[in-house]
Amino acid sequence: MTDTPMHAGTTALHDLGPAPVADDARTPVLSVLGVSKRFGAVEALVECSLDLYAGEVVALVGDNAAGKSTLAKVIAGVLQPDAGYLEIDGQPVSLPGPGAARQHGIAAVFQDLGVCDNLDVTANVFLGQERTHRGLLDQGGMERVSREVLSMIGANVPSLRTPVGRLSGGQRQGVAIARTMLGEPRVVVLDEPMASLGVVQTAEVLTHLDRLRSLGMAVLVIGHNLNDLRAVADRIEVLRHGRNNGSFDGPTSRNDEIIGAITGAWPQ
Amino acid sequence: MSRTTGSQSSLREANRTLVIETVKEFGGLTQVELIDATGLSAATVSTIVKELTSSGVVDTQPTSRSGRRAQMVTLSPQTGLVAGVHVARRQIRVLLGDFSYTTLASTSLPVPFDQPADTGLDRIALLLAEMIDGVGRSTSDLLAVGIACPAPVDATGMVSVRGLMPGWEDEQIGELVAKRLGCAVHVDNDANLGALAEVTLGASREVADSLWLTVSDGVGAGLVLGRRVHRGFAGAAGEIGHVQVDPTGSICRCGNRGCLETVVGAEALLAPLRPLHPHLTLRDLVDRAVHGDAGCRRVIADAAATIGRVVGSVCQVVNPPMVVVGGPLAESGEVFLEPLRAALAQHTIRHLLGPVEVVPSKLGSTAEVTGALVLAVQRTDVTHRSET
Repeated sequence: MTDTPMHAGTTALHDLGPAPVADDARTPVLSVLGVSKRFGAVEALVECSLDLYAGEVVALVGDNAAGKSTLAKVIAGVLQPDAGYLEIDGQPVSLPGPGAARQHGIAAVFQDLGVCDNLDVTANVFLGQERTHRGLLDQGGMERVSREVLSMIGANVPSLRTPVGRLSGGQRQGVAIARTMLGEPRVVVLDEPMASLGVVQTAEVLTHLDRLRSLGMAVLVIGHNLNDLRAVADRIEVLRHGRNNGSFDGPTSRNDEIIGAITGAWPQ
Repeated sequence: MSRTTGSQSSLREANRTLVIETVKEFGGLTQVELIDATGLSAATVSTIVKELTSSGVVDTQPTSRSGRRAQMVTLSPQTGLVAGVHVARRQIRVLLGDFSYTTLASTSLPVPFDQPADTGLDRIALLLAEMIDGVGRSTSDLLAVGIACPAPVDATGMVSVRGLMPGWEDEQIGELVAKRLGCAVHVDNDANLGALAEVTLGASREVADSLWLTVSDGVGAGLVLGRRVHRGFAGAAGEIGHVQVDPTGSICRCGNRGCLETVVGAEALLAPLRPLHPHLTLRDLVDRAVHGDAGCRRVIADAAATIGRVVGSVCQVVNPPMVVVGGPLAESGEVFLEPLRAALAQHTIRHLLGPVEVVPSKLGSTAEVTGALVLAVQRTDVTHRSET
């Protein structure tokens, strides 16, 4: 259970309906179907498939160079597959660029976060999509919305006027996730959000993931620490040498089974 | 408290101890309330509070009671840092505070179901160290830690029932954390500590006897008799989750059959909803019920009725004036409380003083971790420390 009050989060900004909980329609929001991607001699993805449903957190794990980030980039429209395709709500789509992915409700936060250290929290949340009012920046309106999106994901920042460079790693991650909320996404992809964070900050990020889930989003999170990922993931998908190598139930699976699938010891 | 009949100085010492223990027991109270609670004269209390303030044991702050100015007496925040930890099944919650019960930092870390003890204990130590660092203090300021465990704990701080906390049962949890943090660590059952928090700082502060009921992944209760938590011989008092309600029911993780928990534990509640909602969590269940989902409301109401039968029996035996209800299910408010009250009315004898009062927890999801912090404060000898 999270620290935050249960019903904070439904705001005028996001018309998410009365109940900020999972939509259980059994059509995946997003399907990756038989996607392959090659970089020269390197087969980054080989007929890789993945389904993401609304209101679930899926952890994508694998060894280094297993294709996790490549898959995330394909979903985010940054890379285009050589073979295979994506479906949204059961309809085939092509995502020629990140803008197209965003239009389809797919938001991604990559390892570099893309935040500007010298700008404050509000400016980072609205970076590239600043709001104006009668030709001037709508500072008050943007601060109000920033506060709303930060509280939706359960993020705490000392002040909206703090330059992002002065925030902790977990708070910076929170700002980057809050920014994606402006596009009212249905799928959120997070590449290694817990990398090089302390345990308090890891706790913050895990809480954000839990929040996104209860807002009804489909969340794909890439990471290494199985203990942390299994704390929030409904499902764990393993990639090995660019191929699917196992799918596990988050709550009931064991670390050793998953590690077996990552290293190739499983299936025998 | 037995008064020593001896010299003037031993009497003063006893009164001093009484004042400190009373402040610890109520968390903080005004000088007038302190006179009531200790039975000492106004002059004595005033003198002792002055003395304790100047020696840095207690602290007074101006406040108001019924519109009149009053002095709030708490233990001194300068005494040092104190922490509460709640090791729940799906999260570790840590609260860092001082001896006046001011919260300095709090964190909640989601954890997987079967988190092994070594990982969990490391996490606790790291969380605390980072949180202390975050408020600009040093770990040497940390005087005591209380840990709330989701299993009965005996007087030596060991888990006393098998099957409820797999992987942690053979660990000297207190000693292992004490070794990592270099301070005293006290361990108790989370339901007992929820009860301790409510009677010290929460909803049952004004009554002598009360029952704390928590409905989360499992069901637990803490029994308060004469403002003291009744722990029982093995620390297993109030384990109502393991009262049999269905003699032909499923085998429980404790090894018995048809325990209350096998009927109203999170898994049992969510199972009938799985065909409709495969990934539902307890939190989602409560959210949906609050927003009017009929099926989810029904699941919660049925659970409340079943729990009410067991709690009714406990109330019949103990006859407390108040039941304080915490845990996520209670956050559905009247969806849970109304059928619980109805069941209590049906399963207890009607007496002329009115039905047992059923109130929601004042501390909510932080009750157990707050209780762990209260335990750490109450077990610390603040007088000795201030004199050294």
